[in-house]
Amino acid sequence: MRRSTWLTFGAAGVGGLVATRAVVGRRGRAVPAASRSAHAVTVARPVDYVAAHMPEELADGGDAVEVRLREAPGDRGTEIHVRRANDEVSDDDIREALRTGKSRLETGDVLQPGVATTTPTMLNRGLRAVTRRGRRKGLL
Amino acid sequence: MKALQWQGVNELAVGEVPDPQIRNSGDVIVKVRQTVTCGSDLHLIGGYIPFMEKGDVLGHEFIGEVVEVGAEVQRHHVGDRVVVSSFIACGKCWFCRQNLFSLCDNGNTNPAITETLWGHAASGCFGYSHAMGGNPGSHAQYIRVPFADVGAFTVPDAVSDERALFASDSASTGWMGADLGGVQPGDVVAVWGAGAVGQMAARAAVLLGADRVIIIDRFDVRLHQAEKYAGAETLNYEHDDVAGELRERSGGRGPDVCIEAVGMEAHTPGVQFRYDQLKQQLRLQTDRPAAVRDAIHACRKGGSVFVLGVYAGFVDKFPLGALMNKGLTVRGAQMHGQRYIPMLLDRMARDELVTEHLATHVMPLDKAPDGYRIFKEKRDDCVRAVFLPN
Repeated sequence: MRRSTWLTFGAAGVGGLVATRAVVGRRGRAVPAASRSAHAVTVARPVDYVAAHMPEELADGGDAVEVRLREAPGDRGTEIHVRRANDEVSDDDIREALRTGKSRLETGDVLQPGVATTTPTMLNRGLRAVTRRGRRKGLL
Repeated sequence: MKALQWQGVNELAVGEVPDPQIRNSGDVIVKVRQTVTCGSDLHLIGGYIPFMEKGDVLGHEFIGEVVEVGAEVQRHHVGDRVVVSSFIACGKCWFCRQNLFSLCDNGNTNPAITETLWGHAASGCFGYSHAMGGNPGSHAQYIRVPFADVGAFTVPDAVSDERALFASDSASTGWMGADLGGVQPGDVVAVWGAGAVGQMAARAAVLLGADRVIIIDRFDVRLHQAEKYAGAETLNYEHDDVAGELRERSGGRGPDVCIEAVGMEAHTPGVQFRYDQLKQQLRLQTDRPAAVRDAIHACRKGGSVFVLGVYAGFVDKFPLGALMNKGLTVRGAQMHGQRYIPMLLDRMARDELVTEHLATHVMPLDKAPDGYRIFKEKRDDCVRAVFLPN
C-alpha cells in the first residue's frame, strides 16, 4: 500500500462512529461501486487506542482504501472496516494487513512460523501452495 | 536434533531435523522430558486429516525444561520445569479473555485452511498438521513454545513429571468436557470412551459432585482403570445393554450430561460401524460419529452433550431430529488448557487427580514408531505410550 499521511479521524466520543476517507486526489482506476469489497476485523482494544496506534500496514493505505473504525458492541473492542477504493491494492493485501495489524494491536507482534522440518514432494505441492497463500489471508 | 516425523500415511520414522529457534520475543525453547501419544494423533497418521507434509514432527502433549527464553518472556527462566498447553494462545484477544484459548485469533500462522473449512480459524496446536499452524510437535528433543507466558506453566515440586505430563492435554480436555458440559452436583453423567481423556472427564465429573458417573468402553483394562482411579461405574458395550443400563441407572430420565471422548475413528458393534467405515474409506464422509449418535440418543430431554473427540469434517446420519426435539445442548471444543492447567496441577499436588497409570508403555524416542503401533492396535493393554527424547 502507498505511504501517505492520509488517515484523519473525526471527533470520536465514546460510542461514536469514526470515519475516514482518502483525502489525496484519486490515482488508479476507481472500483465500480457494485464490485467493491469490504473487509472487517474486530480488535480487542478500545477505539482511542486503535486510532493512536494504527499499525503501519493499515495506516499506509493512501487513497487506495477507505478505513473506518467503529466501537464493537458488547465490550468487544474496535471494528476496523476497510474497503477498496480502486484496484491499486487487492483484497488479499487488505486481508493480510488486517490479520497482521490486528495481531500487532493485540499482542504487539505477529506470530511467525517455526523452523521447517518438511520435505517438498509431489504429493504435498498443493498443500504447500495453500499454506503459502494461507499465511497471507486473514481471519475475515 | 532427533524427532519423530510423519513420512506418509501410516509411515513414521525418527530422523534428524533442525533445532527450533526463538522466532518471536515471547517464545521459549523447551528441552522435552516426556511426550505422550494421543488418540487424535492416529487421525493424522492414518491420513484422515489431509494436511500433513512429509517430515512433520508429531506430538502435542509434553513436559520439559526451559533452556532458552525470548527477550520479552517474564514468567519463565532457564531451568524451569514446565508443562505446556497443546494449543497456542496469545492471552490478549477477545477469545483468550473469555478463557476460550483454543479459539485464539493470533495463535495460528496458517488460518486460511480452517477458515475456509469451518468459517473461522481455530488457534494453532503443536504437531497437528498445517491446518493448525504447522508447528513442529513435541516428539522431539526440543520444541519452540510461542506465547510462553500464556501457555507454559511451572510444575510444582510435589508433582512428578509422570503425573504433570497429562495436564498438558488429556486432563485439561477431560475437565473441560465436564465443566463446559455443565456437570452439577447430583447429576448423572455418562462418558463414552475410557481412554485417557475419558477417564479424566469421568474423574472431573466425580470431583464436580456428580451423583453417578458411568463410563463406557469395550476394553476391560481401561474400564478397570476408570473404576479404580476415577471412581466411575463401568459398562462394556460388547456385553452390556448400554442404553438400558443408562436409563435404569438414571431413574428412567437418561443421563443429565453425556460426554463423548472417542473421536472420528469410533468403533461400535453392528451395521452402523460397517456403514460408517465404508463411507469413510470411500471418503464419502470424513468422520465416524457413532459415539456422538449414541450420546444424543441416551441423553435426557433438555440435557447436555459435550463432544471432546477430535473431528475434522463431515458426517452422515447425524440425529439432528433427536437433538432438536429433545431440546439438547450440544457443545464441543478443542481444549482450553490455559484455563485449567493451574487448577489441575494443584489437584495433582493434593492427589485428587492421579494420571501415572495412563502411561502404560514408556520408551525412548527411537522406539516411537513401535510405540504408535502398540498404541494404535491397543496391544499389551496399552492406554498411552510415553516417549523420552532425552
